Amino acid sequence: MKPTLIFVLLIMSLGLYCVLVKDNLIKKALGINIMEGAVFLFLISYGYRQGGSPPILTGSETNIVDPVPQALTLTAIVIGAATTALMLGIIIKIYKIYGTLDTNEIRRLRG
Amino acid sequence: MNLLISYIYYAFLLLLVITAVYSVISRNLLCSIIFISLFNLFMVIVFLLLQAPDVAMAEAVVGMGFTTALFTIAISKTKEEE
Amino acid sequence: MKYFSALLIAVLMLVLFISLQEIPLSQNLMPVSSHYVDSGVKDTGATNLVNAVLFDYRGFDTLGEVTVIFAAAAAFKMLFSHRRIFFFRYGMSPIVKTGMAVYSPFIFIFGIYVIMAGHISPGGGFQGGVILASLSILLTLVYGLWYKVRQTVLSPAISSNIESMGGMVFIFIGLAGIFSGNYFLSNLGAGFFAGIPGSMFSGGSIPLLNIASGLKVTAGLSIIFYSIAGGE
Repeated sequence: MKPTLIFVLLIMSLGLYCVLVKDNLIKKALGINIMEGAVFLFLISYGYRQGGSPPILTGSETNIVDPVPQALTLTAIVIGAATTALMLGIIIKIYKIYGTLDTNEIRRLRG
Repeated sequence: MNLLISYIYYAFLLLLVITAVYSVISRNLLCSIIFISLFNLFMVIVFLLLQAPDVAMAEAVVGMGFTTALFTIAISKTKEEE
Repeated sequence: MKYFSALLIAVLMLVLFISLQEIPLSQNLMPVSSHYVDSGVKDTGATNLVNAVLFDYRGFDTLGEVTVIFAAAAAFKMLFSHRRIFFFRYGMSPIVKTGMAVYSPFIFIFGIYVIMAGHISPGGGFQGGVILASLSILLTLVYGLWYKVRQTVLSPAISSNIESMGGMVFIFIGLAGIFSGNYFLSNLGAGFFAGIPGSMFSGGSIPLLNIASGLKVTAGLSIIFYSIAGGE
């Protein structure tokens, strides 16, 4: 678990850096996508047991991985897709009003 | 997992970090989107190595089909028509 | 500004790493998970444990997630309301059109199979629903939006009705549990048919819930794509 935790925190910090520093609005949406990927990885790597098999019973298993984090991750994936779609719709509307996608310019112009 | 599979698992985790770095750094927007699609592909393989087939199927269809298509349409609608 | 935020992120990740060492990890499952694994097949009749957890033990959370997709599709329809078909007016070349005509019935059958066999093999309502929605995206890209608007089976006008019907079937199956004396969304106590675990007709109300949420996800994601591609 400990080496996987280091990689998960690396990917999360990359996504957070992209949201804070980059200027383009679409790059910020990409950064939120990367952060969600890191969270899915953390949840599923928590539920893994050594020498386990997938959680589908066929009558002859002894060691099964945890099925509850997988159910949580399944819901989170679909909700992440809906959130990303709504973010992109609002970005298209912002472009139609302001004419640019740079956050420094949008802060200066006022409608 | 035995030793060989754990080597493959850490190699794919390293590839995940590398594609995320390239997606943040590159200046061309279309390149960033292609690298995000690759990021989701490597996530699918890592999920399969962690014995989770349901989640791998969902991530494959949503991450590599739906999100990439929406990002591409958003890029083509927000650049100046020449 | 760049170096300050990088320093802040490094400090945050260090604090997270030190505090996440306290998570207790053992080789046995949690008490909740071991109860689901031991008595899952007896309680629900489905052999896919993730589907059983998602649609029977935690069915109320699935209802909330279905509501989120409904809200996103409704917000999209409100944002992009004027019809101005400027992109994707005509399709691609005849080679692509002929190839797609041969190929698309198989994708359709595969999507329906993934939805209906959700309780005995990996799959379920969400995966199959997104497969059918991506088939709809593919047909729009290859044949053009004029063709899609004039169609009668999967046109944008019918998708709203399919989405509402999916949500209502979900809630009616839940209310059938109350009318028989048990709680909301109860499975075997409300009298649904539970056959031999492992066959196609088994699992009580789980296949019906799979179909309802699959229809809902298909129609919701299709509406999102039609609005953003052909709207104002």
